[in-house]
Amino acid sequence: MCIYEDQIGKFDWRQTYVGRIKFAQFDTVSTAKKIIVATEENVLAALNLKTGQVMWRHVFESASSGDIQLLHFSDGDKVTTVTGSNPYLVRGWDPTTGVLLWEWPISIIDTERAHLSEWWVQNGMLVHLLPAFGSHLEVTMYNLMTGSNRGATSKLPTVWTNDGCILTPPYYTCISGNMGNYMLLSLDVTSNAVQIISKPLSNYFSEGEVIEGNLRPLDGKTSQPGFIIDDKAILLIKNNEFEPLNVRLADQSASATFIDAISGPMLVQAWSDENKGLSITAYNIATNTEITDMQMSGPKINIPEAELLGVLCINTAREQPAYRILLNGADDAVHLLQQGGRVVWSREESLANIVAAEFVDLPVSETDAALESEFDQKEAIKVYSSVWAAFVRRLHTQYQQLHTLIQNLQGEGAVLDTPSPLVRDYFNLHKIIVLITDVGKIYGMDNLSGEILWQRYDGNLNTESVVMFTRRSARHPPHDAYVTIIGKHEETGNGYVISLNPIRGTLVGERVLRLDVRLLQVALLHTVDAEKLHALILLDEDETVQVLPVSAAPLVRDLYMYVADRETGRMQGYALKYDGRQVIAQRTWSLNLGGAGARIVTIAGKSRTERVHSAGKPLADRSVLYKYSNPNLLLVVLERPDPTHKDVVTAVAVDAACGAVVAASTHRRARALPLAVHSDNCLAYLYRSDKHRRLEIATMELYEGNERWLPAGTQFSSFGCARAPSVERQAYIVPASLTALAFTSTEKAITDTHLLMGLSTGMLMELPWAYVDPRRPMTLSGEPREEGLIPYAPELPLPAEASLNYNRTVQRVRAIYAAPSGLESTSLVLATGLDLFYTRVAPSKTFDLLKDDFDYHLISIVLAALIVATYSTKYFASRKMLKQAWK
Amino acid sequence: MHLMFIFLTIFFHYVACLDYDGWMNIKVDHSLNCASEKYCKRGTITLKSIRAGTAIIDQIPFNRKHIKELQELAELDGFYTIRTLVSTAEGKEIEFLSSVKAKGLLENGLSDIISAWVLPSGEVIAVTFQVMNSTQTNALNLDSEYPINSDFYLRHVDQAPVPDTASYIQKLEREREAREKGELKDNRSFLAKYWMYIVPIAVFVMISGAGNPEGAAQPSR
Repeated sequence: MCIYEDQIGKFDWRQTYVGRIKFAQFDTVSTAKKIIVATEENVLAALNLKTGQVMWRHVFESASSGDIQLLHFSDGDKVTTVTGSNPYLVRGWDPTTGVLLWEWPISIIDTERAHLSEWWVQNGMLVHLLPAFGSHLEVTMYNLMTGSNRGATSKLPTVWTNDGCILTPPYYTCISGNMGNYMLLSLDVTSNAVQIISKPLSNYFSEGEVIEGNLRPLDGKTSQPGFIIDDKAILLIKNNEFEPLNVRLADQSASATFIDAISGPMLVQAWSDENKGLSITAYNIATNTEITDMQMSGPKINIPEAELLGVLCINTAREQPAYRILLNGADDAVHLLQQGGRVVWSREESLANIVAAEFVDLPVSETDAALESEFDQKEAIKVYSSVWAAFVRRLHTQYQQLHTLIQNLQGEGAVLDTPSPLVRDYFNLHKIIVLITDVGKIYGMDNLSGEILWQRYDGNLNTESVVMFTRRSARHPPHDAYVTIIGKHEETGNGYVISLNPIRGTLVGERVLRLDVRLLQVALLHTVDAEKLHALILLDEDETVQVLPVSAAPLVRDLYMYVADRETGRMQGYALKYDGRQVIAQRTWSLNLGGAGARIVTIAGKSRTERVHSAGKPLADRSVLYKYSNPNLLLVVLERPDPTHKDVVTAVAVDAACGAVVAASTHRRARALPLAVHSDNCLAYLYRSDKHRRLEIATMELYEGNERWLPAGTQFSSFGCARAPSVERQAYIVPASLTALAFTSTEKAITDTHLLMGLSTGMLMELPWAYVDPRRPMTLSGEPREEGLIPYAPELPLPAEASLNYNRTVQRVRAIYAAPSGLESTSLVLATGLDLFYTRVAPSKTFDLLKDDFDYHLISIVLAALIVATYSTKYFASRKMLKQAWK
Repeated sequence: MHLMFIFLTIFFHYVACLDYDGWMNIKVDHSLNCASEKYCKRGTITLKSIRAGTAIIDQIPFNRKHIKELQELAELDGFYTIRTLVSTAEGKEIEFLSSVKAKGLLENGLSDIISAWVLPSGEVIAVTFQVMNSTQTNALNLDSEYPINSDFYLRHVDQAPVPDTASYIQKLEREREAREKGELKDNRSFLAKYWMYIVPIAVFVMISGAGNPEGAAQPSR
């Protein structure tokens, strides 16, 4: 790989994310105003207040040891975090640079109750509260910087506590008592004297109201301890007294916070309604008036289930103070709003959790489409009855082309800033990436710029095992491209199908379809219907088949499906057939791969777009080693505990059409990783060797041998060959820990395939298949040398030059997606994880492309000079001839 | 009804890959000509020893009804489904399902290949029925009985190779030794080693030196 310094960012981009925000604190004291955030992805970061960009970021462990329990920041102070889950780590960070200042651990002896811990910072002390419901509260105070304990843990006897209690520092508040006779109790746990505030709950409700007794604290960083009862009444605690507010919660789902503005303490509420959109109200407590300039409502901004993360009140030179409202949505997007409802910036944090991605071709431009249809043979016969009609058509198109050319020339100077139209470029390098995120938000992203073109949030979509199919590419004008997403319904678990146009993000065809059954398997029909659409075949729980659209049912022939149970390792195959009325699924095979107690870790099938270019490999003796290219092959990696060998990993290559096992191998004392790839006749999977405590990659190649089984050109059939291919096997040590694995893919598969690996260090590596080729010989002499095989070395080389993302670390790489471009040499690569990284790779170098720094000027000057020289010598030669003739 | 026995002995290279030896019994049921149930008996395959791999196949021959039903299936390009129940010494009965195209089975004169895959622990993970794609069609003679020709193969899931560090280190050491040996042997003097290159150069220099005075003399003329 390797690029030059001036090529940085030319074909690649990186986007950094932090994940769904859990805590946010404004920092307005530093010169660069920022928001310090802690997220559910265990990231601590500082976002620029003006732009929303990440200023610094710390990514903690993704396991529970990285959980952020507390984020504390008060103006002029340091940022404090408590992370982990027993033992906890208390760390201090510099707010401007993000540098770690101090760190000390706390471990709680009572491990069973440790998860109930509550933390907050008060007067430079870290307070830890551990409740024992119905008995007492344990309060411990530590010096924030050093961790030294001020005194012993104090135990406050509180028999009235229960698991519905909440903490609004420093008060611990509970509702206790029986239904209809509730008492509201609150206790300042840090004061030296134990003073319990106790009031009947009915004091704060009008008579006849049903009191359920649910407590929830105010959101964000409140200036006064306060809470909400039953999503209705709001109470503050002032001077050790409950103080009910005159205003009630504006909406059941409203999120409320309490801030100190210049004009007095203020209650801000925000809620969203499906029809009315987002509403924000502010209420001045001191003057009992609504603050009108902060009020906004309207369907302009639609934030699903908006939640206030914080409100900032900035004193400006003018009299009106400026407000900044930070809102979190159910779609994980975070928005910073000004008063009046203008969005200062938004961050799409759900992109930190991408579950599926697909590259979609762009449509050709209108003129190109016209040209294509003109020269389309079938179309031509239909339309042109005579030569004259064709001639007229040709003239018309040429006039159109001229017209657009003139338009382009005119428009070039005027409108340069309009975004480039979404049409296919010459090399088909410009595509749209459709991304599905964990929360159910779907994005369309421009692959060249990384810009989000459209987005759609569907709270009903459960993306647990979501699949996406491109059912029609944009190659068939006038039909639009068509992408279908099949997931589960959030509540019922039934099938949920969303069909959309990937270019514009609008719903098309079946739109949003709620099925009333759970789905077992989904496949795309290999043949297209009259509208060039691939039908969707859904196999449901009752083994009945649905075809979308229904009109495509007669096209179902020779279709096979498999269903694998992850937990038991059982696999079943179905043959689907149209019997004249409907499509029926017949169970044809079932296997019990891995034996009893096995669990399927991963299944790798072939990519739908894959092509096989050559049927074999030429050997040194000029014979051909024919590949076993079974398009129905699956690689199944299973794992199971074994009484004698701890854990056993079994890898099985199965023909999914007829259910025959093609090859299988086991690894003893190993744990499988969910990383397996499969392309053509090459299979690779990773496992962790417990015996040697290292990561290893096992590779397999399947060959028919020196003779072809079937005559050239015949279609492979899974039902016609019971012969077993010969299997080449090898294993290599991977000197890194991998989190993602993929093959590059090119349009015609002439280019080499390389392995793309995502490392836990945040590197993306490109490794030629030749290095993991199972045919690497131990000693290099004679034939293997002539064939160009590399001599065997047990450890794989991972040189820094093989890194795709140079110094742009991609945190927590989860998956790598590769897609072919129109250039045979080039494959487009997207790595997802906490960050997104896009680049393009050329596994066999850019053989079909001029170099990036090709000197066009030099070659034109040389050409021009040559032409000039030719004509001048011609002239001089004729003069000389003339002179000689005169002599 | 007479029974047919086929004895097959398969020799294995990987006898050692099985942890414990044991017996195996495979009940073969099919869905042809069954009165009321979905599956009825086709035969049994018995192995006294998995390690030896010798199988005794005992199958009930097809009668006319079977063939007729098979032909009906073949017309629809349907599947002939076989259910197998495998029982071994240690485990409970495991059910497998496999199908072949009815047309293929008829064309091959009722001959199929049965392969069973066995884990090193002795567990069976797959029993598959397949037909060869043969072009010669065995014409079915119109007897009252049509024997089924089955070939049984027991296939072992073998140990995958591990990264071969030992032989690689040996190879490196051999290479180093060879290099050292080569260096020791070759401690002749510089002249002794490269005389074959030096002599021609010297000869060339002498020849060109002899020709030079003439050339040098020319310009002075």
